[in-house]
Amino acid sequence: MSESNYSFDNPTLPLAASPVDAGMRRLPVYLVLDCSGSMTGAPIEAVRQGMKTLLGELKSDPQALETVFLSVITFDTTARQVVPLTELMLVKEPPFEATGTTALGAALRLLSDCIDKEVRQTTATQKGDWKPLIFLMTDGAPTDKWADAADAIKTKKPGNFIACAAGSQADEETLKRITNIVVKLHDLQPEALKQFFQWVSASVATTSTGVANRGDAPVALPPPPPEIIIVP
Amino acid sequence: MAAKTKNLTATLEDGRTIEYEPEVIGEGGMKRVHFTPDHKSVVCFFKDAAVGADPQRRARLQSIVGLFNPTTDPDVGAYWRELFCWPTDIITKPEIGVVAPTYPANFFFSQDPFKGKEKQASWFTSPKLRRFLPQNELGDWRRYIHISTRLARAVRRMHLAGLAHSDLSNRNVLIDPQTGTAVIIDIDSLVVPRIYPPDVLGTPGYIAPEVLATQNLEVTDPDRNLPSMLTDRHALAVLIYEYLLGRHPLRGPKVNSVKSAEEDEQLSMGERALWIEHPTDQSNRPKDPAFLKVPYTQTGPFLAPLFVRAFVEGLHDPDLRPDAGEWERALVKTTDLLYPCPNPSCQSRWFVFDPAQKRCPWCNTQVKGPVVILNFYREGNRGQFKNDNARLVVFHHQRLFAWHIYDNQYAGERADRTPQAYFALQDGQWWLVNQSSEAMVVVKGSQTPNKLLAPGEGEVLHDGAQIRLSRAGHGRLAFIQMA
Repeated sequence: MSESNYSFDNPTLPLAASPVDAGMRRLPVYLVLDCSGSMTGAPIEAVRQGMKTLLGELKSDPQALETVFLSVITFDTTARQVVPLTELMLVKEPPFEATGTTALGAALRLLSDCIDKEVRQTTATQKGDWKPLIFLMTDGAPTDKWADAADAIKTKKPGNFIACAAGSQADEETLKRITNIVVKLHDLQPEALKQFFQWVSASVATTSTGVANRGDAPVALPPPPPEIIIVP
Repeated sequence: MAAKTKNLTATLEDGRTIEYEPEVIGEGGMKRVHFTPDHKSVVCFFKDAAVGADPQRRARLQSIVGLFNPTTDPDVGAYWRELFCWPTDIITKPEIGVVAPTYPANFFFSQDPFKGKEKQASWFTSPKLRRFLPQNELGDWRRYIHISTRLARAVRRMHLAGLAHSDLSNRNVLIDPQTGTAVIIDIDSLVVPRIYPPDVLGTPGYIAPEVLATQNLEVTDPDRNLPSMLTDRHALAVLIYEYLLGRHPLRGPKVNSVKSAEEDEQLSMGERALWIEHPTDQSNRPKDPAFLKVPYTQTGPFLAPLFVRAFVEGLHDPDLRPDAGEWERALVKTTDLLYPCPNPSCQSRWFVFDPAQKRCPWCNTQVKGPVVILNFYREGNRGQFKNDNARLVVFHHQRLFAWHIYDNQYAGERADRTPQAYFALQDGQWWLVNQSSEAMVVVKGSQTPNKLLAPGEGEVLHDGAQIRLSRAGHGRLAFIQMA
């Protein structure tokens, strides 16, 4: 059979040539991390390692890869979005430096703005994103005006919000004003922070699998490791 | 490497003991999993202590491991062991659990970037995830037909025993497109008739619409629909559609609620579920025409009607859904219609040959020159032959098996897989070479009528020729067509 018997058209079209985004909802995940001066040394290094592990685990989970879009917001004396909401596979580890004070209020306002800007709402003609999953970690008391921002977030309920009070200086009562789901890490040891990041990654993987199942009920997080205590 | 910690010991229901490694290698919603020291089996403990205390759950596990277990069948058990990771023993101490075989190595990625990860179907059926996989993992379209056949066969066998899986999904069926194999895992939550009701609703995307639509009713409410064999049929149809077409049948652009994404999803997969390829209601059809470039009709004359029954007639009427045996037979017959794409860079490489089009739907390559097709007829009363609604599309080195030759043989788990004849293209002519132990008869189309084609002999095929494939009872007659 000679090749001249055949005409070739579009030879490289893959098996599933479907456009990637059709009908797919995104699961936006926001990590809001405290990088104030008190995190200097081992704690900030643990955050760097934790972020690396988290990305590694999520980037090899098929459900997470399919739906998760990730954003990272850090705060010290000010707050900034170091990773805008990005498709998981394309997220690069941001640099983390510990410095300055704890501008929690600024971080919450920035978070709220980012969600307004980046998360797609469902309209009559467009499938929107899943409700965002938000993890906030702080190791100290806020040093700016934060109460109004906390109340605004709690009223607005922009997503499933999990706040983590890390170490003895963190104030869980402050966090309770932002969200009902507050967990506590007893210390800022690398092992505890590592466990926290692993738990975050397991929570994201679980949510990306089962998000459709629960309707409006709060997300069912995997049970935290012993280092993490759920504040009642 | 850290020194190995000491292995632990578990006691089986029959009093034997089994060693297992202390490290937890996996943890799901229901179970904690450890390796045995040889890594050939896993030991799974149920996280919910109630499992051990509940005599009905124990009875369920006992009937899964014992009475309803197809993998212990003396004749075909070995075949089923390839299709199921079926639990082999029940553990009673230190906690209630099961022993199950480890998944074969080919169901794990062996190379980076996903080395060691299970080959869940989503890796291969999601266009987004396929982009991340090495080329050699993707398989060709014939492999996806094989995967679908094996899955349908496995579900048929489970249903034959009266067992419903209740959570068939992209996660509980591992597939390997390199070899065309599939294995059903997580067998221990099967729904055993009269013993134990389902304890999971299923996995989003695979839960039947009637289950989602009634999930807010009490479990005891007679209108509440729970997972069953009928809902397995829905999940099976979704999986086969995903394997063969690389898209989900119900995920389209139609918005059913603007209140929240969660409520919209609930309706779109539940009470208002609508097939994206519904022939008359186009409201959920993807707007980008490239998305449906290869429509379901390209799966051929045996599968396309089943998709219509599953996603039009049976989507909201569970009794109308095709059962697993119908899928299996249609897939087996579709295998005989596959033709290799002449385009060497076509990724799908195989397609269902349609004599009216003679074109690969994946890459649009035209097939030029005649293609030999055998149309099979079965003998009715007194030498009358009736069309058997089955045919074989021929390509170089295509083979003929016993299930082609006899109308009462089936390419199932008990089939004789020894080739009985082969086809070859030589000097521009198509040959059929008899490799069976009996003569075939070229009834028409040779120079002498009723010419015998003895074992080892070949015959050049012409349009309109008729060959009796066996003179024994149930031997079929093949009409040769040059398409």
